Amino acid sequence: MFKNNNFIERSIAGVLSFLKESVFSDEYALKKGFLQSIDPKIKVVLFLLVLIAMLFIRHSIILLYFYISCLTFAWLSKISIKFFLKRTWVFIPLFSLFIAVPALFSVFTPGDAIVTFKIAKASFIITSQGLSGAILFVMRVVTSVSFAVLLSITTRHFELLRTLRVFKIPQVFVMTLGMCYRYIFLFVEIVENTYIAIKSRVGAKIHYKKGQHIVAWNIAHLWARSCQFNEDVYKAMLSRGYKGEP
Amino acid sequence: MSNLIFELKDACFSYLRKYPALAGIDIDIRQGEKIAVIGANGSGKSTLLHMLDGLIFPDKGIIKAFGVELKESAFNDENFSIGFRKKVGLVFQNPDVQLFCPTVREDIMFGPLQLGLEKERVKKRFEELAEDLKIRDLLDRSPHQLSIGEKRKVAIASTLIIDPDILILDEPTAGLDPLTTRHIIDLLIEANNSGKTIVTSTHDLHIVEEVSDVVYVFSQDKKIVKYGEPDTILKDVELLQANNLVHIHSHKHKDKIHAHPHLHLDHHSHQ
Repeated sequence: MFKNNNFIERSIAGVLSFLKESVFSDEYALKKGFLQSIDPKIKVVLFLLVLIAMLFIRHSIILLYFYISCLTFAWLSKISIKFFLKRTWVFIPLFSLFIAVPALFSVFTPGDAIVTFKIAKASFIITSQGLSGAILFVMRVVTSVSFAVLLSITTRHFELLRTLRVFKIPQVFVMTLGMCYRYIFLFVEIVENTYIAIKSRVGAKIHYKKGQHIVAWNIAHLWARSCQFNEDVYKAMLSRGYKGEP
Repeated sequence: MSNLIFELKDACFSYLRKYPALAGIDIDIRQGEKIAVIGANGSGKSTLLHMLDGLIFPDKGIIKAFGVELKESAFNDENFSIGFRKKVGLVFQNPDVQLFCPTVREDIMFGPLQLGLEKERVKKRFEELAEDLKIRDLLDRSPHQLSIGEKRKVAIASTLIIDPDILILDEPTAGLDPLTTRHIIDLLIEANNSGKTIVTSTHDLHIVEEVSDVVYVFSQDKKIVKYGEPDTILKDVELLQANNLVHIHSHKHKDKIHAHPHLHLDHHSHQ
């Protein structure tokens, strides 16, 4: 969308296209693959059991088998493995690797040293127990996230919401979740159109200070619009007989 | 008169008690009538429709529906509230406001479920609407995947499924292609022929004659400047021009520049 070097614009474009591609796309859920053919309720139960089982697994090698099976299911469900790996590995290094790195060292996990090195006169020891603990943690996160992503991309979101109702999740929660999903997309579109409109008027390059100013105003504008929308949607609900209960 | 449905006397409304939106409106609407409300942007048309639907209430003056004064407290009575919502349906100007469920099917069924309408009747009406509005293919899609025309048709379906006696529509044909516009007008005429009262706000002067027996013209100062039969109102070019509903259009015919008011009623001819 924005082909210039402006950091703010590139970030916005990146976030928007990620949201549109990964959260709102029904592309993979509509394919005729293995997981798509399974009843969503059964699928949710099976995936939940797998996730719970992974919490109790203490061997990385078993987790690796789970991970390989997850990739196999993705392949059988006609999901591009490149897309799947991109989706599942984007946030994992951020959330799990940073947490796992300190566990490598003897300070947090004492044990048999496998690597020793010095930085500014301070010596660091990586222990075998620390390394296996870190691998186990990362493997568990990767596999859990992969299964969760696999469930969400092979099931249409309204079917997932319907499944939540079957599991006796309060209807008000399911309804709010559905509305959030619906309106996040609308606001993504508003932000996207606003930035195209700005670009059409200010050109490709603007001073970063001006850019910050525009972004700040747009956040405020979006907030005001969402408040207005909130009121209007509530009126539309009242108009069709909503009594405050889902 | 006994068939009086809505009665507004000196109704005033302002947003946040600061920004006036309606300034002393007097309107009587009778059963089976077709009413059109025309006026420029920001003249108070949508505010009036929201007031008719019992979503906002006058700061000054009164609004009565079916002989009962509409106040916030009246809607605390569940019987009155449900009865009113079953009788009066509003199609909002922005369909995104009205379509808040994960799928089109759920959106259409939201009203009947809330109002506890009879299942068999709703099912039959649902099938009819899906066929009439040609939205069968959209039923399992999410509203965010629809075009503006499709969203508008679904929004109309979500109101029509309640089968209200009074149908209020806020710019129902805005942004629609000619064929869909025609389809919606035919639907409104048919609804009116079956005894329903239709209140439409619009900028499209070319649909006014078909969707109204009485036309109310709103001015920028949020008042009704004139009302009457569509034929009389649409011939009053000076009035329409003063209220931003027509503009002076100038164009070239061979070597001569030619200017005249442009009403968007029909394609004009030149001799």
